[in-house]
Amino acid sequence: MIVDFSLIIDSIPKMLTGLSLTLQLLFVSAFLGTILAIILLLMRISGRWYLQWPAVVYIYIFRGTPILVQIFIIYHGLPQFEFIRTSIFWPILREPYGCAILALSLNTGAYVSEILRGGILGVPRGLHEAGSALGLSVRQRFIYITTPIAVRLAIPAYSNDIVSLMKATALASTITLLDMMGIARTIVADTFAPYEVFISLAVIYMILTLIIQKSFGWFERYMSRYLKKEA
Amino acid sequence: MEELSGWGDDFFWGSVVVAQVFIVSLFLMVLFGLIGAGAKLSKNRIANNIAAAYTVIFRGVPEILVLLLLYFGAAIALTNIVQIFDPNIKFLDIPPFWVGSFGIALVVGAYATETFRGAFLGVDPGQIEAARALGISSFKTFIYIQIPEMWRLALPAFGNHMLSLIKDTALISIIGLNETLFVAEQATATTGKPFTMFIVVGLIYLSFSTIITLTVMGLEKYANKHLEHGR
Repeated sequence: MIVDFSLIIDSIPKMLTGLSLTLQLLFVSAFLGTILAIILLLMRISGRWYLQWPAVVYIYIFRGTPILVQIFIIYHGLPQFEFIRTSIFWPILREPYGCAILALSLNTGAYVSEILRGGILGVPRGLHEAGSALGLSVRQRFIYITTPIAVRLAIPAYSNDIVSLMKATALASTITLLDMMGIARTIVADTFAPYEVFISLAVIYMILTLIIQKSFGWFERYMSRYLKKEA
Repeated sequence: MEELSGWGDDFFWGSVVVAQVFIVSLFLMVLFGLIGAGAKLSKNRIANNIAAAYTVIFRGVPEILVLLLLYFGAAIALTNIVQIFDPNIKFLDIPPFWVGSFGIALVVGAYATETFRGAFLGVDPGQIEAARALGISSFKTFIYIQIPEMWRLALPAFGNHMLSLIKDTALISIIGLNETLFVAEQATATTGKPFTMFIVVGLIYLSFSTIITLTVMGLEKYANKHLEHGR
């Protein structure tokens, strides 16, 4: 079997034109998803059942079903209803771009919320007690003690989730979006050279993964800088 | 809901396919994970490097890309081989079932490698030394002591890997496996009710996830039975 290097050299710039779409999907849904995750988290730790239960059910549903099914429900499924096609959300839901962002944000929100909850549960009890002994109110303790420590504890899992999200953006190609994966699929459909194109794309995705992991690794060291003095 | 009538059996057989893929890929995933963990923990540097490359590649590349590469790549490779014997064959169709199961098992196996590695390291070395002192062979030590002790530590993360597997089966519909998502697409084409059909798929996956979660909870209870007296 012969590797067609000229095809690799041709196809990499073509696929990189989809990089901006891949990154847009990643950053916008990571941002919206994290906001959603914080809301879900606050609902879960609120201690009020009418806020807790909807959050638990939401997380259970979105973590229990494949992201591809969620994308299909939003993109193919929602236009079944007349009231959605006449609603103000239709300009977003009509476009595959809006649907992909919506699906990815809703999905990652459920996962990130669990990650943040894990971070909060990891904050030692003694610190709370120390905070209340110093006369800090519940709100002050949450903002100045729990949050910074929980964020630091949650970084490794959060970085894994961002990598998963980056991998999930490739599924946007199933709803006609031309991200890197979508472009690669059209090139393969034209040339029928899956090895050259897909392996080059795999290398691009691996570089992205590496960049994400390195950045979060740096951020984690930055957040834990006060710990080094003890060691 | 009347539009669902006539599709019940298709969805049922689609679910059976999902379950079959899950069982085959679960077996392969455990195999890949154990081999990977063994290679990572071995003193052989070549094995270390191969295992490291395996985990970096399959944790950094989107699942859909792995599946498409394996599917089209295997089809081309096999067609080339078959054409040596019979030049009249233009394209060889390969079963998406096996390629898909193999593909998702490779991806999740990369995550399982890390889980198993961590779990093997978590086994108290004193246990292995004690076995050696009792004259138990190293093979028997591995089967009767290391695996049962490692299993308990690996279980929580392993449950998550099983959930990833079941959700990844949905991706195999992209390479043409007639599982539930594929059935839903066909049903949509006939009935024009995409929302209903994809929601059914979502519910099927949600029930699979629930069964797996409950099973893992039961297994964890069983695995930690001997620790309950201490509390």
